[in-house]
Amino acid sequence: MKKILIIDDALTVRMYHKQLMEQLGFVVEEAVNGLEALEKIQDFQPDACLVDVNMPKMDGYRFIKELRNDEALRHIPCIMISTEAEQHDKEKAYAAGANFYIVKPAKVDELQNISRLIAGAA
Amino acid sequence: MGLRKTSTNIALPDENVENENREVPRDFTQLKFQILSLEPSERRWAARDLGNHPEGVPILLETLETETVVPVLDAIFTSLQKHPTHECVNGLIRFLSSEDASVRNNAIEVLQSMPNALETHILSLLNHPDSDVRIFAIDILQQLVHQNAPEWLKSVLLDETHVNVVATAVDRIVEIGDSSILPTLERVAQRFAQHDYIQFAVNTAIERIKEDTYA
Repeated sequence: MKKILIIDDALTVRMYHKQLMEQLGFVVEEAVNGLEALEKIQDFQPDACLVDVNMPKMDGYRFIKELRNDEALRHIPCIMISTEAEQHDKEKAYAAGANFYIVKPAKVDELQNISRLIAGAA
Repeated sequence: MGLRKTSTNIALPDENVENENREVPRDFTQLKFQILSLEPSERRWAARDLGNHPEGVPILLETLETETVVPVLDAIFTSLQKHPTHECVNGLIRFLSSEDASVRNNAIEVLQSMPNALETHILSLLNHPDSDVRIFAIDILQQLVHQNAPEWLKSVLLDETHVNVVATAVDRIVEIGDSSILPTLERVAQRFAQHDYIQFAVNTAIERIKEDTYA
């Protein structure tokens, strides 16, 4: 089974995405910010990360940058999920190293399509 | 969002060791110059000591605009926390729009510690044109020790139209609301009947509040 790490400071958002991703057949681990995600990622070794932008302690951009600087972890695809739908926000996410960008609240078919891509690539 | 370099976490010498060797004067006039020093450890000390001077608040706020070294930024925010005034709150509010998450989160934390000075600003923050700032205002309310905090969040639930702002309010109301908020949550579910996420969030919030109420 494919594994995904959901990183978001809002409990309800994590619960919602967890439910969706489990329905899509993923094993889910959760983290409340980028810092906790970096601690958990070594053991969990996910096939992908679903990353919120605004979080305390370490935000989504910084998390992805840290991930891309790590030789052992840089290959992990990251889906950035944000409240911002502007083009420059997407560009900023891709510049940080995100592979996909979706706008909150995530739609089931969007996550479905991306998870198929991840499952195919992994 | 404002233009600002992202903060950098660099290691500075241990504070206690440095304190023993510190021979620079600490009067206000000197501190104003020391906070402009090229040496981060000197800036950190100046930021810390300026916290003992109420007239240092505007200098600390101005320094936040350009400072990028995390230990210096931490010292600035610690010093600002000592001055829960309207001037300080006014100055910190603009950093809710900072591109730097570390600065933004620190501003949120310090504002949470200033309930009385923030009181007159909260409604304008909850009605700010930038939906992200409205979300950060809700983040402030979550930890703000103020008797009106649940009422302010309730007003967001009733009047806000941006789905993500409402979603944040639904998530946060669980922490500070009680069973009296349940009818309001049901109205949110009706207002956003087409949004799967809001339906999920409202149902989850209602369940959690009921669990807390009857536990």
